[in-house]
Amino acid sequence: MKINNAYFTRRKFLNSLLGGWLGAVVVSFISPIVKFVWPPYKEPDEVKLAVADYAGMKPDEVKTFAWGNKPGIIRRTKDAGFIAWVGVCTHLDCNVTWVPDKEMFYCACHLGWYDKNGVNVSGPPPRPLRRLDVSVEGEDLFVRKPEAGAKA
Amino acid sequence: MRGIRILCLLAMVSLVLTPLAALQTSTTPASGPPAKAEVKAGAKPAAAPEAKPAGKPAATKAPVKRTEPVVPAYSDIKQRSAVIVFYVWLWFSIAVLVYFLLQWVKEADRVYKAKYYEPEESPRKGNPMAPALGE
Amino acid sequence: MKIDLKKFAAWFDDRLALTPIFKYMTKKEIPQHEHSLWYYTGSSILLFLVIQIVTGIMLAFYYKPTLEGANDSIARIMTEMPLGWLVRSIHSWSATFMIAFVMIHMIAIMLTKSYRKPREATWMTGMMLIVVSMIFGFTGYLLPWDDLSLSATKVGTNIPAAIPVVGKWVTQFLRGGDDVTGDTLTRFFIFHVCILPLVIFAILIVHILLVQKEGMSVPLKDEIAKKTVPALPFWPNFVLREVIIWLLLLGTLLTVSLLLAPSLGPSADLLAPAPKGVKPEWYFLFLFQTLKIFPGNIGPVTGEFVAVVIILVGILGIFFVPFLDNKPETIKGRLFTYLTYFGVIYAIVFSIWSLL
Repeated sequence: MKINNAYFTRRKFLNSLLGGWLGAVVVSFISPIVKFVWPPYKEPDEVKLAVADYAGMKPDEVKTFAWGNKPGIIRRTKDAGFIAWVGVCTHLDCNVTWVPDKEMFYCACHLGWYDKNGVNVSGPPPRPLRRLDVSVEGEDLFVRKPEAGAKA
Repeated sequence: MRGIRILCLLAMVSLVLTPLAALQTSTTPASGPPAKAEVKAGAKPAAAPEAKPAGKPAATKAPVKRTEPVVPAYSDIKQRSAVIVFYVWLWFSIAVLVYFLLQWVKEADRVYKAKYYEPEESPRKGNPMAPALGE
Repeated sequence: MKIDLKKFAAWFDDRLALTPIFKYMTKKEIPQHEHSLWYYTGSSILLFLVIQIVTGIMLAFYYKPTLEGANDSIARIMTEMPLGWLVRSIHSWSATFMIAFVMIHMIAIMLTKSYRKPREATWMTGMMLIVVSMIFGFTGYLLPWDDLSLSATKVGTNIPAAIPVVGKWVTQFLRGGDDVTGDTLTRFFIFHVCILPLVIFAILIVHILLVQKEGMSVPLKDEIAKKTVPALPFWPNFVLREVIIWLLLLGTLLTVSLLLAPSLGPSADLLAPAPKGVKPEWYFLFLFQTLKIFPGNIGPVTGEFVAVVIILVGILGIFFVPFLDNKPETIKGRLFTYLTYFGVIYAIVFSIWSLL
């Protein structure tokens, strides 16, 4: 296409082609670096525990387990079942602790309180503790992420 | 003009994304660690990182102390193909870039020989190819 | 909203006064003659150094510099981190490439006698840079903490002990004690990522500034004939050519790293006997072989002592070669050229011999 006078010259076109390709190559090198430096670590989908460790729990007794890198909390319910939560405060990610006298979970960072069902009752936490599903299969106790929809 | 620029941009973006996509699918780690962690204060997690996560390791890691060397190797054909695609794309890109750079070198030499640009008179910043008049 | 780049640049220029640097880059000229290909070796070294720094930082994010954690952390990088094996491979190969180019650079300077006046200081800072680069390689070699690297380090840190008077202290300083232990590993890690980078940056800045100040050297015969050599401006002509070379080198490095990624042995056992085939990295092989050929005892001193003394004398000789080769245009200059050829052949022959 012949243009007598043009602001966008052939030289500019070739320059942008080179620069653009160079930029694309640079981006393709940067992207794996970014992926390496920001590793996509996710929580486990399920954790397997030994029933023997938890079978002897009395009602309303609370024990902890490892949910990936976070603490998990298991409580024995009155009907000899189990409830589990991710033991991380929904406010700013501090680990919560069980206070047996009050039968509540307490987060020491900003004085947040959850009742024995994990519901936030006092202090800054905006949501209840995240629930996890527990199922006993033979000798194993499985703690899993709840099915979609039931997640707190 | 603008249309051509947009077309070039699209071509380049797709050229970048194709091998990237090929690499990403074979090198993202499996979602989370294999999650069957034995939990107790003392027990070590039986972490057997399956060869899928990231790159091409084919090591089997013993639970406590590794006695086998970790040898990088392909774990599936997809990884091998991804590496070959990347390899071809890399050298193709280098060929294209070197071609353009050689053109630019020729132009810079021509400009210098024609004394179009005298170092004492006009220090050039930025794009040395932009002529002093217009543009 | 249109961003006016010129105003942006002017803002910086008012405060930082960087225009003289750009002006200089356009004024600086690179002579063009039959040996001007060697001018590219310097910036290639810089390319590999930058790659080392970037990949080194990425590795250091996940590497654990303790006796218990080192080997496993590298196994983790290789198996769990996205493209971790490639990062490690690039770091390992780029070290080889960098030291190879450092050697080529040094040999080119020696053969073209570019160390003559007024570039003696540039040569000496360059020699310091070679020593620092090789120490980089030596300290980095221990960090995977597998059998081969542990044995190579034991041998390597034992060599200074042969130096009289101070040798034992040098070995103890390097090892963090009398033996190679977990403390040695942590110490080498700090050398590798903290002390040596600071040292190499300091010396490199002096080296590069000296190169800029003295300008590029011309071959000896052109200088004697007082011929004006045709030259190209540094910016943009030479820089564009450098970018081409960098791209080709980058491609080669990536190809080699992809196809020949290093493996990782199991974690070293401090009490186990030395494995077979202990050898240092390739750039130390000729020194290693030189040590091996000396007999156990020569008269009242150990063979190792004699070897170390000879090597030290050789290194000092190369360091001071601008002063020793002070009449490069005469027969003496020729002698030094032949000595360089001899040195190169000796290094290659001894390296190959040590592998047999």
